[in-house]
Amino acid sequence: MELYLPVAEMSVNWAVILVMGAAVGFLSGLFGVGGGFLMTPLLVFYGIPPGIAVATQASHITASSLSGALAQWRRQALDIKMGAILLAGGLTGSVLGVYVFQLLQEQGQIELAVNGSYVVLLGSIGGLMLNESIRAIRAARSGNSRPPVKAHQHSWIHGLPLKMRFRRSRLYISIIPPIILGILVGMLTAIMGVGGGFIMIPAMIYLLKMPTNVVIGTSQFQILFVTAAATILHAATDQTVDIVLAFLLVAGGVVGVQMGVRVGSQMRGEQLRALLALFVILVALRLLFGLVRTPEDLYSIVAGTP
Amino acid sequence: MMRMRSWALLAAMLFTASPASPADLVSGLSTDLIQITSNFTGADIVLFGAIEPSEELGPTGDQNLVVVIRGPALDMTVRRKSRVFGIWVNSEQVAFTGLPGYYFLASTRPLDDIASVPTQERFRLGTANLQYATSAAIDPQEADAFRAAAIRDRKREGLYWESPTGIEFLSRTLFRARIPVPASVPPGLYNAEVYLFQGGTVVSAQSSPLFIDKTGFERRVYDFAYQRSLAYGIAAVLMAIVLGWIASVAFRQRT
Repeated sequence: MELYLPVAEMSVNWAVILVMGAAVGFLSGLFGVGGGFLMTPLLVFYGIPPGIAVATQASHITASSLSGALAQWRRQALDIKMGAILLAGGLTGSVLGVYVFQLLQEQGQIELAVNGSYVVLLGSIGGLMLNESIRAIRAARSGNSRPPVKAHQHSWIHGLPLKMRFRRSRLYISIIPPIILGILVGMLTAIMGVGGGFIMIPAMIYLLKMPTNVVIGTSQFQILFVTAAATILHAATDQTVDIVLAFLLVAGGVVGVQMGVRVGSQMRGEQLRALLALFVILVALRLLFGLVRTPEDLYSIVAGTP
Repeated sequence: MMRMRSWALLAAMLFTASPASPADLVSGLSTDLIQITSNFTGADIVLFGAIEPSEELGPTGDQNLVVVIRGPALDMTVRRKSRVFGIWVNSEQVAFTGLPGYYFLASTRPLDDIASVPTQERFRLGTANLQYATSAAIDPQEADAFRAAAIRDRKREGLYWESPTGIEFLSRTLFRARIPVPASVPPGLYNAEVYLFQGGTVVSAQSSPLFIDKTGFERRVYDFAYQRSLAYGIAAVLMAIVLGWIASVAFRQRT
């Protein structure tokens, strides 16, 4: 059951990694998220060095977002033009992110940066999601539906220059907000190994006012390319991609995703989201505990010299 | 450093040649090549040997053996955490060069009972006498704390071993030492040294090489990742895309 990882230079139980890939894939199919935010901490708990975990599992997101994006594209729920603009920002962001990642690695702060940003992001996203889903559950119980989000509400975003027409999203807006959003998410991908869908999707709905039906497909389209770029950049600059580990994660993941999608279509949305929110908060608390707990050994050792 | 060691060995050989210490030593490893393959989970090798008996001195007397296996020198960075606003943050770091990636020492009794401290230092016996250089000029006491942490960590990982009773006598002259090699062992050229001590000085020494290397698929993947990094990254992405696509097609047809 043991398999030697040639780049990580350690041996792992391949069945455990395969199941981990499948489990995270299942959750990501179930909840429609990339799952990177779960995979990286899981791999680190298992003992994979954080650098290798972040870079390697980006390819896991590439695989799962590919099947997602393909499905959405067949249903015409993908705004390629908007996706391309987000992607332009995303690629810039991932180049910046890989650079920051290298810098942090040299300073010895990569673990803190990865874990710290996970605590902040997962904590706030989990809190927001929990709040929203509880309200939705309450509303469903009392019988009245939520007020729909008003489309085409004018805000400061409409005052920005460089406007462009996005037919599928039925929008005429400046390309500056999507580019900035893309850069931000691209950096997150490179530094944290996440797809960034959990930031991208709310931002597209509430900030860019895109119609909900094209949001998931478009975000998966952009995540597909940004995670692919991040994998290639990490492999080329810091050699932290272990292809054997990636293969196990992806093989487990792609099967898990499909199962998750199947199960997810039979479950109630609000309950599903509340469950995910609780799970996300739990992961954040576990990471926070790791940061504040007095370590067993104050010293840590890494290979190589800066 | 290599040169220093060969000088030490040469000195030991010269001692052997002196008529005052006629005892002789032969030793060998159960293998001289460890191949890291995909199912590699570490290995156990055995060093065995014999002391050629001499008329007047048995192995019982004041003869003692020390076995040392040294791996290739690796660079490493040791960091110390301190508390900043309740969070543990890496604050200081010291880079070490020259510390071996693997170090195993076994002897017939505790080192201090075998040889004086200067002799231990001269032959670099024991993790306390490993040679290294640090990145910046730092307080020697501080450097010691970081070095001790590095050795502690290596011992936890099973990469450094010190076993004062690790040499087992099978008969009056025949001995062996079991050497555990963990899966995380760094590939490279290793050297196994056996020292025969008598009255606190080395009277005989032997050294044999051990080669640990990734082979086959593991070697090719590693070389690919480091020598053609860009193509390797693209290959990783293509693999993900092909698997993702296969899964999506396979599951679509089933419905």
